[in-house]
Amino acid sequence: MTIHDLLPPAGARALAPPRRGLLLALVLLVCLAALLPVLGLGLFAGLGPNRHGLQLGEGGLSALLHTLALVLLVGGAGAVLGTTNGWLTARCAFPGRRWLRIAQLLPLATPAYLLAATLIDLGSRLSWRVHGFTWAALVLTLSTYSYVFLLSTETFAVSGRRQLEACRSLGVGPWGSFARVALPMAMPAIGAGIALSGMEVVNELGAVELLGVPTLSSTILKRWQNDGDPEGAVGLALAALVIVSLLVAAERLLRRRSRRWTMGSDADGSAPWSLSGWRCWGAQLLTLLPPLASLGLPLLWAGLSLDQLQADAALDLASLGVRSLSLALFAAGLTLAAGLLLAMSRRWLPQPLLHKLSFVAGMGYAIPGAVMALALLLLGGPLQISPLLLLLWGYADRFLAVPKQGLDAALERIPPSIDEAATGLGCGWLAALRRVHLPLLRGPLLVGGLLVFVDVVKELPLTFALRPFDFDTLSVRVYQYASDERVGAALLPALLILLLGLGAALALIPTLERGPTRPAAGPESGQG
Amino acid sequence: MGVAAALGACSLGQQTPTLGVYSGRHYNTDQLLYRRFTEQTGIRIKLLEGTDNSLIERVRSEGSTTPADVLVLVDAARLEKATQLGLFQPLRSAALDRDVPANLRDSQGRWFALTRRVRLIVANPQRVDVGAIRTYEDLARPALKGQLCLRDNKSVYNQSLVADRLIQKGHAATTTWLRGLIANVNQPFFTSDIPMARAVAKGDCGVALVNSYYVARLLSGQSGAADRALASALKVILPDPSHVNVSGAGITRASRHPEAAARLLEFLASPSGGKGYAEANNEYPLKGYGDNPILRRFGPFRDDGVPIQELGAHNREAVQLMQANGWN
Repeated sequence: MTIHDLLPPAGARALAPPRRGLLLALVLLVCLAALLPVLGLGLFAGLGPNRHGLQLGEGGLSALLHTLALVLLVGGAGAVLGTTNGWLTARCAFPGRRWLRIAQLLPLATPAYLLAATLIDLGSRLSWRVHGFTWAALVLTLSTYSYVFLLSTETFAVSGRRQLEACRSLGVGPWGSFARVALPMAMPAIGAGIALSGMEVVNELGAVELLGVPTLSSTILKRWQNDGDPEGAVGLALAALVIVSLLVAAERLLRRRSRRWTMGSDADGSAPWSLSGWRCWGAQLLTLLPPLASLGLPLLWAGLSLDQLQADAALDLASLGVRSLSLALFAAGLTLAAGLLLAMSRRWLPQPLLHKLSFVAGMGYAIPGAVMALALLLLGGPLQISPLLLLLWGYADRFLAVPKQGLDAALERIPPSIDEAATGLGCGWLAALRRVHLPLLRGPLLVGGLLVFVDVVKELPLTFALRPFDFDTLSVRVYQYASDERVGAALLPALLILLLGLGAALALIPTLERGPTRPAAGPESGQG
Repeated sequence: MGVAAALGACSLGQQTPTLGVYSGRHYNTDQLLYRRFTEQTGIRIKLLEGTDNSLIERVRSEGSTTPADVLVLVDAARLEKATQLGLFQPLRSAALDRDVPANLRDSQGRWFALTRRVRLIVANPQRVDVGAIRTYEDLARPALKGQLCLRDNKSVYNQSLVADRLIQKGHAATTTWLRGLIANVNQPFFTSDIPMARAVAKGDCGVALVNSYYVARLLSGQSGAADRALASALKVILPDPSHVNVSGAGITRASRHPEAAARLLEFLASPSGGKGYAEANNEYPLKGYGDNPILRRFGPFRDDGVPIQELGAHNREAVQLMQANGWN
């Protein structure tokens, strides 16, 4: 990056103050849109005829304990698996490493409810009972560890190479270097990944219902829709909100402790550690098994169920696919823009109150999709908002944390001195964003956008509750057929979800291969 | 924009109204039936399928702005829940009174059954004496200890079965029956019917309670050749008398086209329309046993005659009783 890249065009200096006002206005708008459903729910819970507030009620404690245990177990297992595989495929050399590195993205393509449904179906053919907490932990670990992998491996690939070279020259082995240098440097990213996986666990509905584990989200839905007690459901949703707040707070604390500024890759071309013997096949096994299970099992199930394939189910497959695709693209764009605004406001608008507000705005992830849907229906009715807009609003609110976590973590690695230099040279926030931050954040932006895309393609409760007439999506159709226990009819839409997810996962490959936080290569990319 | 659309809908409404249907049924063949209705009447259908409870909540929160004219729901308790929430409007129709038996519709005409299903018993002759199982009461006998498999208490069909027992036998007898039932359970409650039916066929369970259409589906080969072969080992027992549940529909209170909606209900309840609805899911029509060869093979059953409306009214008590006696 040269000084010329940072120089603003004539007149930018004069425009800087009003544009920051624009940033403030936009950030406030995002916060308002994100918080409105939560506030509506709070009012609903506090003012409704059966007022509950934050209370667990019957079955609530068991649901809370099950959820906490799942979060801890899945978070722990996902952290170990994601970090280990992130390190092995980024900094070690063994046969098949390149393909196995790409394979770590495959689990993103498989929705947890599909994995659970296929395991139950396959199990019942073999007289195995796939049921209960252990299976739920396994399914959720398989479907969420990729978050930790994605965020940590990027750091392993590009950060601290010089320190690692120093370790190596002092005779420290791969695991020693990993534990003493790489792991502490990757902590913010690992923490962000664990927080994301924890939120996924708190929110998971289909898989835990199928496996018979009473978690907060399934109990909330039961209380709202089966017991006809929406106020009680919201009371329990507030408990879920507390768990997620704790997760996010823990992640921030972790990140603050290990704050280190770095400018992306320090040096290229350093040789990875070569693994041989049992280390080699151990690494291969560890990186092969999880993706093989999460993609291979649904494919095996599809292969065994081919004789149930129904031609009439294929007829509207294209329109289902187009709807899922377009919803996911729109939602990803919207969520990314909102997440970027919030992340930038932390750097450019130094009001502590605003930081707290934008922190709370990312809490939408904590609200179970079904409860968010209730809130949006309550808002959308009087405001006459079309169901499709409500749906996009819901997606953006639910998944705001996904790009925000990654962007926050990435911004932590960009030294504030760069912003100071940009400001000193007269860049407004918009110019600095365009010329400095966007090129540096291209990787996290792509990762965030694709994660939202995959999340929306797989998303169920919001889509189920808010879609308009004749607007079924792939996930809706799979869930409907699967809940009617009609495997044959669910087969093609399920395969198409896998295909879309795979497409998105494969689009992440260049990010993995290049190392995303590398500074812009030249002035051209700065203009982009 | 919204006003213009509404005006457009009103002016068009005179000739060819478009009906909004929210449906808890998810069968592609239902859409063929709606198309047939459009061909016959010129009334078009917009469809939104979902789970029953989510559709009830959606109509409730949409209030007077709901675009749904007809709400189709599966299970008695859900129909009654929607009724209690005031989501339906009453309808008087000679055609519906003729085609829907009195115990299969709301006394004030707020909903009408469209198909029937039976909660039946499947048993593995290798593991249990099938001749000794004739009623739901028999499932609670100590002879079946460690043989019984059940779905969890979230299964609305189990809830309605317990409500049915409550209406017929009273609170004390139902409690005793439930305790006997739970004492016979041999493994954690299932969350779906087909894995449970497989477990019975493979001998992992001796006996289980399932809905008639699941067994018919397995036997028809719709779930694959392997399942058909497996299901042929099952002994199907239609309890005497049998607990009957329904899928049904009503016109929403906020419907803008109640006359057109009434025509749709009359069409779906008529012998020809109802036939299509029942065939889609291997269900029984409102009267008789239908033409489905597999259901005919099960033989006739005696409906216990409990009014469907009352099943919904006893749902909450049934769920509480299930929870209190270990049916989780």
